Order: sequence, then structure tokens, then C-alpha cells
Amino acid sequence: MDKPMYGVVLFPSVSHCMRAESLVQAAGLRCKLIPVPRELSSDCGVALRFGWEERERIQALLDEAGLEHEGIYPLS
Amino acid sequence: MSKIVNAQGLSCPQPVLLTKKAMAETSDILTIVDSPDQAENVARMARGAGWTVQMDGKEDGIYVRVTRPQEAAPPQSAETVRPAAAPLAVGTAQPAGGPLVLTIPEDTMGRGERELGTVLIRAFFHTLLQVQPCPDVIVFFNSGVRLVVEGSPVLEDLRALAAQGVQLLACGTCLGYFELKDKVAVGTVSNMYAIAETLLGAGKVVSL
Repeated sequence: MDKPMYGVVLFPSVSHCMRAESLVQAAGLRCKLIPVPRELSSDCGVALRFGWEERERIQALLDEAGLEHEGIYPLS
Repeated sequence: MSKIVNAQGLSCPQPVLLTKKAMAETSDILTIVDSPDQAENVARMARGAGWTVQMDGKEDGIYVRVTRPQEAAPPQSAETVRPAAAPLAVGTAQPAGGPLVLTIPEDTMGRGERELGTVLIRAFFHTLLQVQPCPDVIVFFNSGVRLVVEGSPVLEDLRALAAQGVQLLACGTCLGYFELKDKVAVGTVSNMYAIAETLLGAGKVVSL
């Protein structure tokens, strides 16, 4: 697979996602709150999108904060 | 021979909408407008659809000639594919009788919880770039005008929409009330006449 442009992290709830957004922005990283892409889930919800190259930093941030999330997926 | 669209004396977004309508019917159009801003708006919309644009300032107005490039599809399927984005149809999929207009009366979506409302409106503008049909015009008023100024959470998406020919009209009275007139970052500052005409002349109005 070609290197994806973005990573997307899904969360158990909207408020988890909003917390994650504040954390990521406080760390000075760029991210965008988007609806969960249809190919990942048919549920309504929001996800956090970021540049694919940032996935490890984001993962570390979430783990450090103990913020529950449902996985990081590639998105082109 | 060009089809002539005389948009002199008409206020934004009429020149763009009339040109767009003509683009669905023919391949060579000459639109005449009063001001450089209007000429720019027509040009931007046409270029966004992949058409060629020539502008000529004359004594009685600005002549904007838009022509469909030879290799493009015929009017019935005037689609333009943008890199890394879904295909956007310009000049087609118009509701019978007029343009598709979206009204944004607040800087949040829905009522009850403001925090949730900010999440929703951001998600909404994100999806506008990916779903069909795309609005022809988006009208912002009351606190909705906050979305077109510097620092708005949906600025990037609005810029992308504008680049694809979507007209963004923000109420000037509202911008004045919030003292944001000099912070407008995208779209056109409009007035109640243009907004009322746009709503009344629409084929379909979607109110958020």
C-alpha cells in the first residue's frame, strides 16, 4: 500500500475525542476533528485525523494520558 | 458566437449563478458585470470547473468570457475531478428552478449543547467537500458569520469550498455588530438585499 496521508484514531465516545483533540493541540500537533470515515464504521461519531507521520507521537500522548481509544487507522 | 449573460446592475451572487446556469447549457459565454470583484467571482467559479477565462475591462463594464475546453465532457455531464477529493459537479445537479442554497444562522449546529454544536458544525463542513450535491451558495448570518473570520474552526474547509466555486455570503450587518468586518478571511460581505434575493430565488434552501 502507498504510504497513507493521514492517520485516524477512533474513540468510544464524542467526549473522549474532544479530550484527545485538546491534548494533541496542547502538544502543538496539528489534527482535525472529522466524522468517522464511512469505510471504518457505519456508526455516527467523530474521529481525530492527523498526518500519518505523527501517529507514534499521538499514540504516546494518548497512552500517557490514559485516554481510551479504539485504534489508529490509515486514511488516504 | 458567445451566449451573452448581462449581469450589469445585479448584485452578488447573481452574476455567478447566471453564468453557472449558462454553463450547463452551452460552451461559450460572455458575462458582463459592473465590478472587478464580481468579475473575479465569476472567473474563480469558471476556473474551478476547468473552463478557460478571459477578462476585458471596457467602458461599460467588465467582460468575462468563459469557454469550455475542447476535450471536456458535453454539458449533460459537466463534472470536474479534483486531485485527492471526490468529483464535484459544477453546473449540474441543480434543483429545478434555481441554485442550492445553504443557510448558516449560528456558529454551532443544533441546539441544547454549545460544545457539541461546535463539534457538529466542524464535522458538517468537513463532509460538504465530500458529499453530493454541493451547495451553490452558503449564506452566513447572526453568529454564523463567526465562521468566516480569522480563527474560525472551519476556515480551511470554507476556503476549499470557495476554490471550487461555492459562493460564500456573510451578512454585513452581523459582521458589523460583532465588530468582525475587518477580520473576514473568506467569502463576500453581503447585505440583506442580496441575501433575501438569494433565498427567494433559490431552487432549494437547506437551513442548518
